[in-house]
Amino acid sequence: MLSARPICMGVALVLFVTDHAVAQTPLTQRIDQEIQKGLQGTPAALPAGDAEFLRRVYLDLTGIIPSAAEARAFLNDPAPDKRAKLIDKLLAGDEYARHMQNTFDVLLLDRRPDKFVKRPDWLEFLRKSFAANTPYDQLVREILSADGADSKTRAAAAFYLNRDGEPNVLTKDISRLFLGMNLQCAQCHDHPLVDAYKQDFYYGIYAFLNRSYAINDKNLKMTVFAEKAEGDVSFQSVFAPKVMKTTGMFLPFGKPIAEPKFDKGQEYVAAPKQGERGVPKFSRRAQLAGALTAPDNPRFARAAVNRLWWLVFGRGLVNPVEFDHPGNPPSHPELLELLTQEFVARKYDMKSFLRDIVSSQTYQRSSESPKDAKDTDPAKFAVAPVRALTPEQFAWSLLQATGQLDADRKALAPKATEAALYARNAGQVTPFINLFAGQPGEPANGDFQATIDQTLFLRNSPAVRNLLMPRPGDLAERLNNMKEAAPLADELYLSVLTRQPSPEEAQDVSEYLARRPGDRPTAVEELIWALLTSAEFRFNH
Amino acid sequence: MKPFYACNSPEHAVSRRQFLTGSAATLGLLGFQDMLSPANAQTIRRQDKRVLVVFLSGGVSQLETWDPKPGTNTGGPFQAIPTSVPGVHISELLPYTAQQMHRLAIVRGLNTTEDDHGKGAYIMQTGRRQVPAERYPHLGSVAAKLLGAEDNPLPGYIHISPRGDGGGFNRGDAAFLGPRYASVTLADGAPPANLLRPPTLTELADSERNDIRNRINGRFLQTRRSADTEAYTNSFAQAEQIMSRRNLFDLSQEPMYSHDRYGRHEFGRHCLLARRLLESGVTFVKVTHSNYDTHHENFDFHIEQLGEFDRTFATLLEDLHERGMLDRTLVIVMSEFGRTPTINRNYGRDHWSRAWSVAMAGCGVRGGACIGRTNDNGTAVVDRQVHGGHLFHTYFRALGLDSRRNHYHDGRPIPMADPQADAISEVLA
Repeated sequence: MLSARPICMGVALVLFVTDHAVAQTPLTQRIDQEIQKGLQGTPAALPAGDAEFLRRVYLDLTGIIPSAAEARAFLNDPAPDKRAKLIDKLLAGDEYARHMQNTFDVLLLDRRPDKFVKRPDWLEFLRKSFAANTPYDQLVREILSADGADSKTRAAAAFYLNRDGEPNVLTKDISRLFLGMNLQCAQCHDHPLVDAYKQDFYYGIYAFLNRSYAINDKNLKMTVFAEKAEGDVSFQSVFAPKVMKTTGMFLPFGKPIAEPKFDKGQEYVAAPKQGERGVPKFSRRAQLAGALTAPDNPRFARAAVNRLWWLVFGRGLVNPVEFDHPGNPPSHPELLELLTQEFVARKYDMKSFLRDIVSSQTYQRSSESPKDAKDTDPAKFAVAPVRALTPEQFAWSLLQATGQLDADRKALAPKATEAALYARNAGQVTPFINLFAGQPGEPANGDFQATIDQTLFLRNSPAVRNLLMPRPGDLAERLNNMKEAAPLADELYLSVLTRQPSPEEAQDVSEYLARRPGDRPTAVEELIWALLTSAEFRFNH
Repeated sequence: MKPFYACNSPEHAVSRRQFLTGSAATLGLLGFQDMLSPANAQTIRRQDKRVLVVFLSGGVSQLETWDPKPGTNTGGPFQAIPTSVPGVHISELLPYTAQQMHRLAIVRGLNTTEDDHGKGAYIMQTGRRQVPAERYPHLGSVAAKLLGAEDNPLPGYIHISPRGDGGGFNRGDAAFLGPRYASVTLADGAPPANLLRPPTLTELADSERNDIRNRINGRFLQTRRSADTEAYTNSFAQAEQIMSRRNLFDLSQEPMYSHDRYGRHEFGRHCLLARRLLESGVTFVKVTHSNYDTHHENFDFHIEQLGEFDRTFATLLEDLHERGMLDRTLVIVMSEFGRTPTINRNYGRDHWSRAWSVAMAGCGVRGGACIGRTNDNGTAVVDRQVHGGHLFHTYFRALGLDSRRNHYHDGRPIPMADPQADAISEVLA
């Protein structure tokens, strides 16, 4: 009972096997069938062309646009199954792990500054987990079981420790991240607008954490998450201040978790002292990871599936993703149910799950609205979404587009691994990311705001200007070496916008260069700038 | 364990029944609109209200400014002087400001119970106490969002910081309102970063590269236009406009006599810049005057600091009035807290938040009003005690905003001002 419980697959498997038709139809097709059912006459966008698909799938699976060479290879490949092959290749690559590391770092820590667990250790823990395709439930158990005292698992304790172990902050974040229920408003009373969010739910989760506290342990010489053996949770609603309630541990809609009683003086493995952590015989916090990921808590898998869907479609089937409740039903209830069961049946295998989503026709639609379609409801998934690049996607794609990474590959060859490129450029992208990122500690809600400091930076900063300068192997140098306008336009568009220019666009480039015969290098820099600052580059579409 | 009211739901203040009969209960979480209907919002924006905050950083002494106690054991060496309002006296360190008293209201019963610089400043700038699970937006960010015109190229919230402090954009100030409403700090009045075109790029070349960008956008957006893409493309036009107005930040454009009137010192320059910015349409300007943290030699330091503040501030008020701007500009003089009535052995005064003062002017503030009272030696509030929540209701009301409304953060209602407090109506004309 004390450690994480093994996952019982019983419920999900029974459901799966009883419906043979379901079992035999691949998930990808089931996704398309369910989305199709929901269209109800809404015109859907045409399938995305190869270039449109290419840019999108690179951004969604690797967090960066493809290099010109990668784009050319894919677009010139005549194989009919080249999309499937590309998806497999991207999921197997080091860039996938890096992208998921960045994505989950932002999700789980909300860009909080470095605290007790060093950022590089935490990031490396995430990267390795995604590279190994650690099942999602296991990843969450590792994060919620770490107390920071064991050097082997200390990195995972960043989730607790970098929030100072504050139980209210943790209750809020655990409920919204792992249950899809933002219970913050249920702290002082039942949620005023969501009937299903009861105040007990808040304190049921809080009770797993109320005995825990961060302490700088003088023996371990570091800050760890310790726990006492006593302390009960009582609370009152601000509407009924005289009625004091108490609760033990339980998850929303779940059963209370039993707690053994110890004789006085027998409660501790190590009693807490000044500067020394306490280790109780029975840890409340140790129950959390197991209870959360247990099969009798289907909300865990449901929230995870909805979150993964949100990652690639920019909105959840339940949207907002942190407000799953009967008053805010999913756009496609059967699909969400199916995905949830399937994710559990696949033992929380994120790669295989993402593979099937991005293989669907739904994912591979164009982002161009069909003719005559006005204001299509985004919850129908009839048209691929247009979403701003995340700060990480934007920063790294700027380096890819301008050929900085090409230049580095050339300089590092033959040791130009993903890790080497990352190490070489991580420092350089930090100011870009900080400028475009939200504020630390505040969950990114996906709202896009273009601020004046960002735009002045893109227009006038030396940092952006430096990316446009020629260096061996980068885009400016390649373009400067091209005499003819047509191949130059081709290389430019492929490098920055991951597509060939239209004849009209090629003509624009040619005329522009003809007007600037005397200063070709400067003209080239400004052309690159114009493409980099276009909406087509700034958005994932 | 006591819950802290992180969400500050209106239910903490109003009864559940009252709440449920309101319209909010019938809304799903998805359907929330902004707190103001578009028609309302437009009316308020057209009124063109502005805010100027003069922040006396470190904690100005209320006894050497707005609430003097001469001749008592805590009063210190300075006298109280009459002002332009009969019966109202303030410290003799503010002779010029005293002549503006008919434009000023003083709140003398402030008790913010927070003696830490950071936490005190948080209360005074957000109207709330700091809590772990929620961040509240600064008054400046709220003003930028609710009062600023959508198409104004200038930042809505500008902070002019003293020499030596950093500049830049401070995303955190806007909290959940979003970075668009964050403050821009002009360090020692210097213009924002990257305002100037790179010297190697001619105006013609810049215009040409923007033409190409616009053509590419035109094609892409034919079939993919959205609020987000509009925001992005518009931000380039806004950048263009703010670049073309770079002279705004250049004080050499001001006549010599302005410099003389405002005072030829840092605070004088900063206030002159503040007036230029307000006049040009910036919604909220904060000028920080530093440093009033006088644990040692409180009296000497206040002579020095207020010597700068007094004449410059009085000039600024007069100037705003002469230019017809004071009617729609709310002026607030605040600190993170006041200073102890007890004089310590270093002739200093320490941090003190139990009984101190804030002054306001303009924008519907009742000139000459003194609200609240401290006891004879200033150690406690004896009449009309208020805290940061009351001040925020008052500011919003003065600006024509309904302070009982909510912001919405991911569908969660967050009251604009502490629902358990109310406006200090005596301040408002």
